[in-house]
Amino acid sequence: MRIRRFTPIQKTFHLLLIITFMTQAVTGMARMYESTLFGKALGAPFGGYVNCLAIHKVVGVAMLLLFVCHIIYAVILVLAGKVQSHDSLLPKLRDIKEFFGHLRWMMGGKLPRFERWAYWEKFDYWAVFWGMVLLGRTGLLLFDPVQTARYMDGSELNIALWMHRLEAGLAMGYIFLVHFSVIVLRKHSFPMDQAMWGKDADYKTVKLERPEWIERLENTGKLDGLIVKDSSPVLTTFSYLIGLGGVILGVYLVIGGLMNAHLIPW
Amino acid sequence: MQRKLILYALLLMGIFLAAPSWAQEEVTSGSYRYKDRESSTGEYDKYEVRPGRGTPFLQWNTIPKDVIGYSQGNVNVNRPGNISFKADAHAGIANYRFKRCGDCHVEEAKNNRHVTRADIACRQCHGGEPISGINYYYSQLNPIRRHAYVCAKCHQGASASFARYLVHEPNPFVKATLTDFPKFYYSAWAMLLLVIVTLGFFLSHTGIWVIRDLFTRKPERGVDDED
Ligand code: HEC
Ligand code: HEC
Ligand code: HEC
Repeated sequence: MRIRRFTPIQKTFHLLLIITFMTQAVTGMARMYESTLFGKALGAPFGGYVNCLAIHKVVGVAMLLLFVCHIIYAVILVLAGKVQSHDSLLPKLRDIKEFFGHLRWMMGGKLPRFERWAYWEKFDYWAVFWGMVLLGRTGLLLFDPVQTARYMDGSELNIALWMHRLEAGLAMGYIFLVHFSVIVLRKHSFPMDQAMWGKDADYKTVKLERPEWIERLENTGKLDGLIVKDSSPVLTTFSYLIGLGGVILGVYLVIGGLMNAHLIPW
Repeated sequence: MQRKLILYALLLMGIFLAAPSWAQEEVTSGSYRYKDRESSTGEYDKYEVRPGRGTPFLQWNTIPKDVIGYSQGNVNVNRPGNISFKADAHAGIANYRFKRCGDCHVEEAKNNRHVTRADIACRQCHGGEPISGINYYYSQLNPIRRHAYVCAKCHQGASASFARYLVHEPNPFVKATLTDFPKFYYSAWAMLLLVIVTLGFFLSHTGIWVIRDLFTRKPERGVDDED
């Protein structure tokens, strides 16, 4: 038995974000590591160092458009009154309590009773906002340095480039190590959390982790509408292929990046 | 089905077709062709000064790597004989003709993405002999005309503001940058700190979490929940 945590529109947003983020990660790393074989191999499918930049720029703009679409979508949802207080991703006092409760649980206490979104999921969501604003802004500045220099001092480009690199390192480190560990390595979700993919979230696991949400759904009689059957094995296999493929690529980028970091001119 | 699989496998292998061609490059750079961007007709050589003859005497005359250190801020107009205001910055320097720029200007050859990544030669910006000091009045790199005489050769429409980009970029994390370019120093350190704190916190958080999760029971199908 499965329970639906994300609507098809949200899953599509997530899939598009994965595709664009991975493209940016690979083309960006390919440029950063251009002088090593690791970087050349990354860049080869995209047409090498020069073309990687062109693709990086186009996909970056696509990402920003996706971001705008998401904001419009979120605003429409909120205006239509579809987001009740517990479904909202705004951080609340309760998240801080749950965070410390979760820490206590790690030391042997009792697991907090999470609602629909736990604090780390809210952080995941807002981290993308934060990244979009910082990476998107510096990326737009570097999109055309000559035009940018018309509006600000040319030396700002030096700063923008370093901000872009550091923030990209943070985004990749967070997604490839933290987000992927939560999705893949945790025993409850191993080998991969299905909430976003082919199937939906496992009902038993959700009931165990987020009892407050299930209880709220039961009380308001909305639970039955969200319960779905297991999907076909073909779809499941497909979702594992895409999801775990992304994870492997991410881990490869992290390992390759760390191993080659001493070889590149910055 | 099988034919399709073979087709896909072949297409997939096509990705690696580029690999052998790296080895067949006639030029040293895999990314930029010689004079790819520049519209001038200047001729430049990989050996920027003159090919080394490999004289047996040179080895005693090499300049120690850390003797010449430059930064944006160390131009002192009042210094007598400041090289930066001379028409020929290298007048009288021994063995100049037989070396490459990078042999003496170790820092400048490394802190410059135009050289390390875009494969631009020093002379494409600094010009032919004699190489004048940056602040020499008629130098093409004098800030009053740098954008038009140098940057615009490759960056169409370059403005004076654009030319203030630091081509020889200082390392943002060292102390000298704090005096030369404080904004660069502070923003890079602030961002680095943010990266370290965020990643450090969440990595340890998730690490402990993953380990703690090993000691819980995984919910099984058809088995009643515990807790
Ligand atoms: C034999 C070593 C040597 C070689 C080779 C050499 N330089 Fe220099 N260069 C020097 C020295 C020494 C100075 C003067 C430093 C000082 O007194 O500040 C200098 C000064 C300069 C300056 C002026 C710096 C200023 O403050 O304005 C520029 C520009 C310069 N070199 C560029 C080059 C370029 C480009 C090449 C390659 C074509 C090159 N140099 C090759 C040793 C060398
Ligand atoms: C893209 C153009 C460009 C290229 C390529 C380039 N330089 Fe420069 N160089 C400059 C500019 C502009 C300055 C003026 C100082 C500044 O604003 O950083 C400069 C300054 C210098 C100085 C004076 C000291 C300083 O840092 O201010 C030296 C020495 C120098 N360059 C050496 C080299 C050497 C050696 C190479 C090749 C490895 C090289 N440059 C390649 C643009 C270039
Ligand atoms: C001989 C050609 C040439 C000259 C002269 C030249 N550039 Fe560049 N510049 C390039 C190339 C090639 C790139 C790399 C573009 C890419 O990666 O696609 C580049 C990239 C840049 C970038 C983008 C950021 C970066 O570091 O990659 C800036 C900013 C820049 N140049 C500034 C300058 C300034 C300022 C000058 C004048 C002092 C200058 N350039 C002179 C060829 C040149």
